[in-house]
Amino acid sequence: MEVFLQQLVNGITLGGVYALVALGYTMVYGIIQLINFAHGEIFAAGGYMGVILISWMVAQGYPPFVCLGVALVLAMGYCALLAMAVEKLVYKPLRSSSRLSVLLSALGMSIFLQNGLMLTQGVYDRAYPGEMVRGGFEIGGAMVSYMQIVIVGITVVLLVGLNTLVFKTRVGKAMRATAQDKTMSALVGINASRIISMTFAIGAALACAAGIMVGMYYGSVRYDMGFVLGVKAFSAAVLGGIGNITGAMLGGLIIGMIEVFAAGYISSEYKDVFAFIILIGVLYFMPTGIMGENVDDTRV
Amino acid sequence: MALMAILELSDISVRFGGLQALTDVSFRVSEGDIVGLIGPNGAGKTTVFNVITGVYQTSSGQVSYDGRPLRALRPHKILALGVARTFQNIRLFQNMTALENVMVAQHSRTREGVFGAILRTRAQKREEERIREKAMQALVFMGLEDFADEVASNMAYGLQRRLEIARALGSDPQTLLLDEPAAGLNPAESLELMNTIGRISELGVSILMVEHDMKVVMGICRSIVVLDHGVMIAEGKPEEIQRDARVIEAYLGQ
Amino acid sequence: MKRALYFLSLLLLVSFVAVGCGGEKKEEKKAEAPKATGIKIGSLSPLTGQYAADGNDIKNGVLAAIEVMNPEMGALGPVTLQAEDTSCDPRQAVAAANKLISEKVTAVIGAYCSSATIPAAEPLMAAKIFMITPASTNEKVTESGHKYMYRTCGRDDDQSKAAVKFTQEYLKAKTIYLVDDKTTYSQGLADNVEKLASAAGLKVLGHEHVNQGDKDFSAVLTKVKAAKPDVFYVSLQNSAAAAPMLIQIARMGIKTKILAQDAVYHPQLMELAKKDAEGVFLTFGYTDKETASYKKFADAYKKLGEPGAYSAYAYDSAVAYLKAVKAAGSTDPEKVKAELMKLDFAGASKQIKYKENGDSGSNYVIQVVKDGKFDNFWNPETGQLYKK
Repeated sequence: MEVFLQQLVNGITLGGVYALVALGYTMVYGIIQLINFAHGEIFAAGGYMGVILISWMVAQGYPPFVCLGVALVLAMGYCALLAMAVEKLVYKPLRSSSRLSVLLSALGMSIFLQNGLMLTQGVYDRAYPGEMVRGGFEIGGAMVSYMQIVIVGITVVLLVGLNTLVFKTRVGKAMRATAQDKTMSALVGINASRIISMTFAIGAALACAAGIMVGMYYGSVRYDMGFVLGVKAFSAAVLGGIGNITGAMLGGLIIGMIEVFAAGYISSEYKDVFAFIILIGVLYFMPTGIMGENVDDTRV
Repeated sequence: MALMAILELSDISVRFGGLQALTDVSFRVSEGDIVGLIGPNGAGKTTVFNVITGVYQTSSGQVSYDGRPLRALRPHKILALGVARTFQNIRLFQNMTALENVMVAQHSRTREGVFGAILRTRAQKREEERIREKAMQALVFMGLEDFADEVASNMAYGLQRRLEIARALGSDPQTLLLDEPAAGLNPAESLELMNTIGRISELGVSILMVEHDMKVVMGICRSIVVLDHGVMIAEGKPEEIQRDARVIEAYLGQ
Repeated sequence: MKRALYFLSLLLLVSFVAVGCGGEKKEEKKAEAPKATGIKIGSLSPLTGQYAADGNDIKNGVLAAIEVMNPEMGALGPVTLQAEDTSCDPRQAVAAANKLISEKVTAVIGAYCSSATIPAAEPLMAAKIFMITPASTNEKVTESGHKYMYRTCGRDDDQSKAAVKFTQEYLKAKTIYLVDDKTTYSQGLADNVEKLASAAGLKVLGHEHVNQGDKDFSAVLTKVKAAKPDVFYVSLQNSAAAAPMLIQIARMGIKTKILAQDAVYHPQLMELAKKDAEGVFLTFGYTDKETASYKKFADAYKKLGEPGAYSAYAYDSAVAYLKAVKAAGSTDPEKVKAELMKLDFAGASKQIKYKENGDSGSNYVIQVVKDGKFDNFWNPETGQLYKK
């Protein structure tokens, strides 16, 4: 029971982070049917931007929560602009060419960004300054750290914010409309290019927040951290039904849970194997994922 | 009638590779007019619509709207000028509710960006409310108020047709392009449609419609343009068109 | 307008580079352009990826050795280095070894991970190229009977003995829990410790495996917390993996004594784990930093940064080879081997004297992290604490 509770807490933390990154994959796929391989690198860039900003602010003597808040906002803005720049320079010129060319350029972009990070930030792990939120408390034998609460809190705020944006506002409606029918949405007055660019920006901002939180949680970032997490988040997006926002959130949570429970009850050595077995199993019976297309109106 | 031309096509030609889709098509739609665009299948009627709305680029010739050339404008800009359209095969946003479909159409009439949307500012909320009200008015106008929260794909065919028109009206158009609005409708529905088009016209909206149902065309259009194989073969009042030998030949074959 | 937007986007992409000003900058001196004559040695170590810190230490150790030895080489010189990246990946290591062979190096210092060293040795041995590893402690490295294989660091069987002795005699532990990350080295070592510990009457409460590159150890740590062992033995491939584990151990409120091993030794550990690294024990080869030979090494290394775990071993490996070449008067493998066997000199890390199988003996001691530094703590030979 103790183990169960503890793993539940850990699973929620990890799953939330996966969900944040998965959303970027799913939204971009939903709107231009592109698997944006460079998304994991945006996540890593966010982690680095976070460490740079937080280190600087901590050195200036600002209180931890101010540092975290300001760094989150600035880094998210930076990543959003970075992703928009990638979209404008690399993907947009290829919009009318075959999907394979765009896919390949996404792969290339991923390598470019990762190497850019390596060259500018070095090959070593970079430490986050101190643990800004220390301590925790116990519930029924499970240790809940304040850091986990902060992470889950930020994740929930971002997810609720995204949901509101997509389902309650006209920008969200325009995104959903563009995802469904680009020609038609242009004919009802939506600037598709702008909406696509915005989708990249929103996905990147979420991934950036995830990058900062992962950095704080594990204490460090490294230039190649986007790869492994990117693969897992992408799997989460596929598991949830790629293109579907609710699916990505659900998929992230499920992959996170499977991972910690498989590690806790079966073997930490094969936790990833179990995650992928479940993924394959689900796709066998539900080829479009759990919340596959046309289930409801949650597609972007 | 010495009305001002709101929409004017001069010598429009469109080529797709070796295929000549339109050749030197010229006609005009006057303000408040109802113009019918007819012709056998493959005559290029939908191509004309795609040229006007910026989906296709012309090979030569010029479309001007309200005295302003439209060349090289992207579709959403053309819509912003006041040209809305419907489709021959219904193209609603299937996963959205009827109300959302209409609300989307007002995108070009709204201002605030993503930040306002995230932060839910008061101005943003007010604007959202205004959009909702306007969209609702369009639904009421089309008699769809009871279906506002129905997901589009769940609606009956005739209702979807009406919703398409409601969505087009949602963008506050000055000119409405209707692509076969009566297709698939039963006689009672067609009659109602004619009635509706009449009411839209009374709002001061100019209408250009493609239609096969001659009862509808002859019933409400004030002038008619006839295309055949991408070439304009006749233009005139309904009763003139009905007597035109070339039109009869085009429809009946040699 | 449009052009300006493109320009702005481009600027943003490049900004990525500008952001780098906060990053670590370690200027590495490029080896002089290789000449037709001279001695060319290679290094194999992970220069990128998660083990990059240790890998670059090895390369830098060799560079320091070249700088020290170059003036002594006379007509045989100059000595140049060709550094190749293994990423700690067996396949890449073999490819890198083959590249070094085609570059006609006469000796290779490396590799780092035992799982890269063992396969990379095959082509090197066939080409009669010396391989001196400064870091691969797995026993198999020198047990394959390779003629040109040498090892400057210690062996895991000796390391595990020191670890178990410390656990039993000093910590007086009755129970132990182990974790490794499944590399030839880390798992081999943990298996050894487990075997020796249970033979010595300790109760092994569990032995878990995690994956290389994992950063989340919550599942394993939950089990450790529930098992309440006296000692938690952490055998991970490097400090970058150990740091998040220590952070999570502290966060979960696990109070168990932690014993780690030599791969975890790196200044980076304290930089990343900070306070959470305090009090961690680890087995590491004893190095007296007060000797003249260490100071000579430290001087040469100064501009390359702070010495890491294997910097001194890499330095000694390269110095040993170059000394042997100098004595032999040529790079002929047979002559150099004869001279290598005769060597007995005070290196930076320890007294260097190779045995018949290529090993140079182990001298593992227990160190502890105290006030952000590694301190010698307990000597397994004498069973005594080191005095400060």
